[in-house]
Amino acid sequence: MIELDAIHKTFGDTEVLHDLSLKIETGELAVLIGPSGSGKSTTLKLLNRLLDPDRGCVRLHGEDIRRQAPEQLRRKIGYAIQSVGLFPHWTVEQNIAVVPELQKWPRTRIRERVAELLVLLDMPPAQFLHRYPHQISGGQQQRVGVARALAADPEFLLMDEPFGALDPVTRANLQDELLRIHRLLGKTIVLVTHDLDEAIRLGSRIVIMDQGRIVQQGPAREILLTPANAFVRDFVKPGEIGVRLLGLARVSERVRWSAQATGEALGLNATLREALSAFILQGVACLPVADESGRHVGALHFDDLLEIRA
Amino acid sequence: MTASPDDRRVERLLVAGMVIALLLPVITVAPNRLLSGSGIELHALLHGERLWLLFPLLWLLIAPFLPRSWPAGAAMAAIALGNGLLWLTGQEAALRTVGDDSLVRVSFGPGFWLLLLCLGLLLKHLASRMRARHAMGLVLLVSALSPALVMLWKGMLDPLSLMQEFFNVQDTLLQATREHLMLVAGSAVPAICLGAGFGFVAYKRPRLQGWVLAGFNVLQTIPSIAMFGLLIGPMAALGHWLPQSGIAGIGMAPALVALALYSLLPMTHATLAALNQVPAAARQAGRGLGMTPVQLLLRVELPLALPVFIAGIRITVVQTVGLAAVAALIGAGGFGAILFQGLAASAPDQVILGVLPIVLLTITLDSLFQLLISTLDAHHDRT
Amino acid sequence: MIRFFSLLRGRALGCALLLLALSAHAAAPIRVGSKIDTEGALLGNMILQVLQAHDVPTQNNLSLGNTKVVRTAITSGAIDIYPEYTGNGAFFFSDEKNPDWKRAGRAYMLVRMLDFAQNRIVWLTPAPANNTWTIAVRADLANSNHLQSMSDLGHWLKRGGSFKLAASAEFIERNDALPAFERIYGFKLKQDQLLTLAGGNTAQTLRAAAQQMSGVNAAMSYGTDGQLAALGMVALRDDKGAQPVYAPAPIIRADALKQYPHIGDWLAPVFRSLDGPTLQMLNARIAVEGKDARKVAADYLKFKGFIH
Repeated sequence: MIELDAIHKTFGDTEVLHDLSLKIETGELAVLIGPSGSGKSTTLKLLNRLLDPDRGCVRLHGEDIRRQAPEQLRRKIGYAIQSVGLFPHWTVEQNIAVVPELQKWPRTRIRERVAELLVLLDMPPAQFLHRYPHQISGGQQQRVGVARALAADPEFLLMDEPFGALDPVTRANLQDELLRIHRLLGKTIVLVTHDLDEAIRLGSRIVIMDQGRIVQQGPAREILLTPANAFVRDFVKPGEIGVRLLGLARVSERVRWSAQATGEALGLNATLREALSAFILQGVACLPVADESGRHVGALHFDDLLEIRA
Repeated sequence: MTASPDDRRVERLLVAGMVIALLLPVITVAPNRLLSGSGIELHALLHGERLWLLFPLLWLLIAPFLPRSWPAGAAMAAIALGNGLLWLTGQEAALRTVGDDSLVRVSFGPGFWLLLLCLGLLLKHLASRMRARHAMGLVLLVSALSPALVMLWKGMLDPLSLMQEFFNVQDTLLQATREHLMLVAGSAVPAICLGAGFGFVAYKRPRLQGWVLAGFNVLQTIPSIAMFGLLIGPMAALGHWLPQSGIAGIGMAPALVALALYSLLPMTHATLAALNQVPAAARQAGRGLGMTPVQLLLRVELPLALPVFIAGIRITVVQTVGLAAVAALIGAGGFGAILFQGLAASAPDQVILGVLPIVLLTITLDSLFQLLISTLDAHHDRT
Repeated sequence: MIRFFSLLRGRALGCALLLLALSAHAAAPIRVGSKIDTEGALLGNMILQVLQAHDVPTQNNLSLGNTKVVRTAITSGAIDIYPEYTGNGAFFFSDEKNPDWKRAGRAYMLVRMLDFAQNRIVWLTPAPANNTWTIAVRADLANSNHLQSMSDLGHWLKRGGSFKLAASAEFIERNDALPAFERIYGFKLKQDQLLTLAGGNTAQTLRAAAQQMSGVNAAMSYGTDGQLAALGMVALRDDKGAQPVYAPAPIIRADALKQYPHIGDWLAPVFRSLDGPTLQMLNARIAVEGKDARKVAADYLKFKGFIH
């Protein structure tokens, strides 16, 4: 759906992007990751023409995006940034309604859409519609930011380190929210982050960048098991690969159904990484497994964790 | 109600001020308008029916040292004492200027002014302690001023020198008010527009910022009288060129030009600061969501810049009200004319008569602007 | 028939325009100005009230500013009439060395001729008063040492009298002020006999002497200052004529006078009645008693029957 073709971009004396080519499929959640200065934010900004390439072109559905006015393009793309950038003088409702207003939607349709999005993001409209940004927490502000990005039902969503400024608990919550929304709405999302755990958690495809070039791209498992070069290997921190791989699988994939065990139950939906942590904490090699309602469904053994490579 | 240690400190400081004021003369008596008077302290005047003033006085002096405090009571005492002093001075003046052609002049002494200042500050402090919002604050103000206004209306303060001077200039006061307001409005409006323009240009072209601000800074350093002098020539030439316009080297026209020039620096600076403090994240998000530069300006940057911009207007207007007094030197009139006539005639009370309206106008305009800014700020917090 | 009406319409229009032009011209008010001092306010108010009594539309621009400001106003056409002093002609026309300025009659003729020729400003009938610079001494000093004139002062100073003069910088430095007195009356004041006050304000200098601030016992003064008696000061007579004569007279732009040619006749008797003692008395009412200049002028004009 989105294609970057042989992009070159220079700022002053520094070449920020070198011969970058990337294809993003419809419905993907692609994560751009890399150290500072790798060009990931720059790449993102090329997608909504906040920046234009020096050489090469960007195509949306096969058509060069330079064909249309930048503002028209941007109104069809959701944009969320780390500092959120909510408009302090407008209520939550007015903030979310920005792009629909720009597109001149009828009043009632806008109002319905705002309420719908607040519900989607688990923020009761009655409570939040008329609050001002300074009256809600950081996590809530970012949720509003995401809602604002989704408001006009854009083709795809761009997110530039959206959860970077939040505390770990809120960050984890919002990452779950994003996954849920992605599953629900099926939108194409391009997300920039510098946090590998976040990338592994969220991304259907991870694109690792270094000094303006794509070093490796693919599903998380592939990157963890078969790093393309020394850089990637160092980037994924060899000492943690195993644990990270565990994070990719769920208890439900390895559970021994109807088996019995004693101890604090693991959730079916928990990752194997969380299971490992529970084994160590409780000092046992076997724990029961329960589903969402708390009903005992089986058990998990420590050895089951080792089958990850199968 | 208990007072915080800070409150206590403020109140005790004000009490110290009042004690000093009591040691200074509270009225001065001069044989005529031109000679300096000899002072009389309060204790020399407290006899007979005036002794009731001791009650509020002692209360105020002792109250900050008591364990429990009663702000409302202290406020009442302050109002009673202030107005009581006014009544006392009016009475004393009447006694000393008996006879139709008495040349004797009774003025307020330094002790009176200091006492009034301390009482005023005390009242303001007590109002905030009682958490008086707008309505309650207004009630307090009205009850503080009403006795004074009644005394004024009944002519009980007429024998005082300040009132005598007022009767002299009564007829010209309305015209002076009109002229002064014209000086302020006539220079502020163009300066606001020009300053906003310059500030906006400097915002869009950061390289010009240094030049623009430096240039206006130089203007600001030119003493006002020198500025008027510099303008006489060019403005007179302009007047010859446009004879019916009423422009001349002296009078309203050069005064307006000079005052507008002095307002350019604060206005430009305020506009620039106002636009610069718009959060960068909001600007970035606005652009990214698809606002055109004009839409961003009108919907995001200007509304967010407005409170700081209005604060800049407030500063400019307050500065201009005071500066407009000097315009009287080139014949532009206003309250400054009364002031300078008093200076020329060596009559201090006439000078005060010129100064008081300027002070009152400044306070009024400043309060109005504060109100405006606080209603704007209610929308978004500056945290 | 139609032609007749169109002719009539044309004439009517023409008449209307003419009337409009005339009335616009006639309705232009005479702008009366004055300097910001006491005597200026007094004389300016007199001029204003006399004009108003004769139904001339006026505009009150009194107490405009100092000499430079008011003079610029009339020469640039911002005001039409104000009271000026004959002696100032020496400075307006850079003719300070001319001894004629010291003679009342000659001074008037000279300034009248020069101002009309160069600025088309007409000098009307002056008052027989002299508001010139002089030195005033404390009454007790004058009485105990028999000081009545500047010559007396000169003699007394030679005998070593204790003297300290409060004056403006201009008075002390200008060649035709204190130095002129010193030359003609044969004395020279030392630095410790002088107290310099910035600005030219006789109200301040007289006050300093009256209250003996910093040991001052004499002050720069003007001949018709109202405060002299009230402050216990005595002005010394300029018996040898060291100073130019400053007779007050109304001066008016020739164009304004053309509109109301009788202004000169109306103001002449008023100004002729204002001799030195009269002016001093009227000034005292304003400066010392603090009466409104407008009322003092009105009372005097009514008392003398110039207006009703």
